[in-house]
Amino acid sequence: MTRIIVMTSGKGGVGKSTCTANLGMALAQRNQRVAVVDADFGLRNLDLLLGLENRIVYTALDVLAGDCTVEKALVKDKRQPTLGLLAAAQNRNKEAITPEQMKQLVAGLAPSHDFILIDCPAGIEMGFQNAIAPAKEAIVVTTPEISAVRDADRVIGLLEANDVKFTKLLINRIKPKMVQEDQMMSVRDVLDILAVPLLGVVPDDERVIVSSNRGEPLVLDKQLSLAGVAFNNVARRLLGEEVPLIDLNATHDDLFSRLRRFFRG
Amino acid sequence: MVPDDSASLAITEAAADPDTSPVEASAQADSDTLAASDLGNLDSPENPEATADSAPPVPAPPIDPRTQLRLRNDGDRLVLLMPNGPQIEAEGGALSWGELLQHFKQRLNGGEPFWQPNTVVHLAARDRLLDARQLQALEEILTSAQLTLKRVATSRRQTAMAAVAAGYSVDQLEAEDTLVQSPPAPGKPLAEPLYLQTTVRGGVEIRHPGTIVVLGDVNPGSSLVAEGDILVWGRLRGTAHAGSGGDRSRCIMALQMHPTQLRLADLVARAPDGPTSQYLPEVAYIGDNGIRIAQAQAFAQQNFDATLGQGAQLTDAFKV
Repeated sequence: MTRIIVMTSGKGGVGKSTCTANLGMALAQRNQRVAVVDADFGLRNLDLLLGLENRIVYTALDVLAGDCTVEKALVKDKRQPTLGLLAAAQNRNKEAITPEQMKQLVAGLAPSHDFILIDCPAGIEMGFQNAIAPAKEAIVVTTPEISAVRDADRVIGLLEANDVKFTKLLINRIKPKMVQEDQMMSVRDVLDILAVPLLGVVPDDERVIVSSNRGEPLVLDKQLSLAGVAFNNVARRLLGEEVPLIDLNATHDDLFSRLRRFFRG
Repeated sequence: MVPDDSASLAITEAAADPDTSPVEASAQADSDTLAASDLGNLDSPENPEATADSAPPVPAPPIDPRTQLRLRNDGDRLVLLMPNGPQIEAEGGALSWGELLQHFKQRLNGGEPFWQPNTVVHLAARDRLLDARQLQALEEILTSAQLTLKRVATSRRQTAMAAVAAGYSVDQLEAEDTLVQSPPAPGKPLAEPLYLQTTVRGGVEIRHPGTIVVLGDVNPGSSLVAEGDILVWGRLRGTAHAGSGGDRSRCIMALQMHPTQLRLADLVARAPDGPTSQYLPEVAYIGDNGIRIAQAQAFAQQNFDATLGQGAQLTDAFKV
């Protein structure tokens, strides 16, 4: 049974594509056959994050036009051959495709894959409708900011209304230090508002920017960063493993903060 | 820090002493003039007299709760009531077909668990123009909620034709005259309560010409509009409007009251800016000087005393 998951958020810039790229790669590393589908027509960038930009020959629109098969359009990753990318067309906009066509594309990929991750564009317009049409499950990505959480709430409501029944939450870019100092919403605060099951928490990490620019997802690093470990854990949870959340406070719990706490009593 | 805490109407220890109660909620007759300066005035505890009566009561913008699709129990079947097409369009706030379906789906998902599986539904399309695709979309939604669409009543010829072609029984009615289309006459009984077991999320709007009961949280960005009361068994953080038909005896109850805005009949109140530490079940109602909030326990006792005919006054938690 292929799991078709849409990665969405409502708000832009919270890290949907980064999460899709890393999660796709992490799943592929665990011998899953994964297809990542870029549904962001006109503003594609999943190919950049995966470092596959110069290998794209056919896009989703070519498949729909009947110019090639969906398997042929899939760009195989050189590092993990079980990972494939179906690129969006860059020269068109969101109206270039309908929800029905999106379903058709994903149905073509489903038999030969274990996971299909759909990278949803920001917003709740046509591009969003397209991206969620084929999905059975959703991962809502949010950052611990009030605007992102509001948008996530709206999106969860829309997903429910559109028969995507299994929604899980991925909190991205949390800064444990700021949470400790009560300057940022905590995981608990976010869950309090959204009331959906938590899939994982990814800490803010500068190395994400480096990895994006290089086109190498974090989970490929030999020396895994904290964010990389978090993405791996999310992948393991998706596969049904019970993995406890990493203790993000641990890195900040140094001698000084312990002393401060001690003196504060 | 929980940002939501900044928007809350909370009870203070002053609840027991109405004379010294600070102004925690501000009310204003006209929501259109919710200007910052006015609110600043109303908010300040030094100026408790700046209340709704300083300006002549102007009705809040009329919201017709009958503009959404809703189901009504009718003996052994359900009737799906379609809002009147031309009337809504005339008001300018017309919902598109897509939005209409969206709201209906969200309502169904919240569960109106008063029917058995495979209950028959009759569609009262009134004078709304429906084509075959729209009828099919409706049927799909109803089927997913284990309901069966059997009969369509309409006063439009094209709708009747589409329904016949789709294989439904059709009642073709005389075109309704304008009198029937006008908003319901006062004194009409309210619809049966709408019971929702769900989180009402941002962007969701629920309108009902009766009482709304929500088992779950009402999140910021959502809105509840009821002609009757609103009961939230959870946290109320969105906008709630009870007695939207103008009934000033209606109230809003919530286990945790920190709404974006409260509206009762033609009054509007918003939450104070300061954070509050504790949340107890509370009731918002219209008192002598506008919208007031009381602890649920106290409110029940006072109302009970009043019904005993002891002449007990409602002691108000907040002067507004």
